Amino acid sequence: MRGEKFDMNPKTMIWISVTLSAVAQIFLKQGLTRLQTRTPASQSLFSLTICVVSQPFIWLWGICFVAAMGLWLSGLQKLDLSYAYPLVSVGYVLVTILSAAVVRERVDGRRWLAVGVISLGVILIAGS
Amino acid sequence: MESTRAAFLCAPSAGRDATSASLLSHWWVAFAASSVFVVSGHLLIKAGLNGSAPLPANISAGIRILHSVFQFKVLAGLLIYLMGTVCWMRAVSQKEISFLYPLSSVNFVLIAAASMIFLQEILSGRRIVGIVLVIVGMVLMNARGKV
Repeated sequence: MRGEKFDMNPKTMIWISVTLSAVAQIFLKQGLTRLQTRTPASQSLFSLTICVVSQPFIWLWGICFVAAMGLWLSGLQKLDLSYAYPLVSVGYVLVTILSAAVVRERVDGRRWLAVGVISLGVILIAGS
Repeated sequence: MESTRAAFLCAPSAGRDATSASLLSHWWVAFAASSVFVVSGHLLIKAGLNGSAPLPANISAGIRILHSVFQFKVLAGLLIYLMGTVCWMRAVSQKEISFLYPLSSVNFVLIAAASMIFLQEILSGRRIVGIVLVIVGMVLMNARGKV
């Protein structure tokens, strides 16, 4: 990539950014859940910081978060704000699908209907 | 667990500014503040990105991103957006997330309106219908009982 022309489509950047944010949320959830089971209830801010920093899932979250932010800013440079911002809702769809598929949470019919309606809206915005 | 989360959310503001801390202890103040900060932060970021001078085509991606981030409007926008996120966390700590999520779709409406007014963006009918469907879906996802 060094010195080369970076010509990724700005729309692709926004899609990857939104996907990374959703994945980052899953990592953060994992990290914080592990943090709760491993840290004593009362502690100093310093030891809490050490616990947070030594958690690999928190690092994964941080990496995904920074990458998502960079892609978001470079994509947004070329696209309308009213186009890019509503695509954040792709995150709700992805988190629902991921929690059903990976975490094996039960997702009822109403939620799947909601996922369908949001996806339809996102398709319309993507084509606008 | 509760104490850890409370420490996370309250430690930075404790003792520094008692007035703003007590104001944010009403969920609706925290929620409204988060909406205002998130929307205005994004507007400022986009305004900064719109105004940045174009770089020659042979500049690498990393430099390109740094160049767009390190300007006053973008940095200020990011900071305001961060404040919005903190306010959102304060709101979430006081009220159920299934109640706040559909409410937060007001941000989509505010962003769309503000982009038209301040950034002279043109919203097609298709984009408006898409945004409305997203909001309907978000309400549906968090609605209680049978639909």
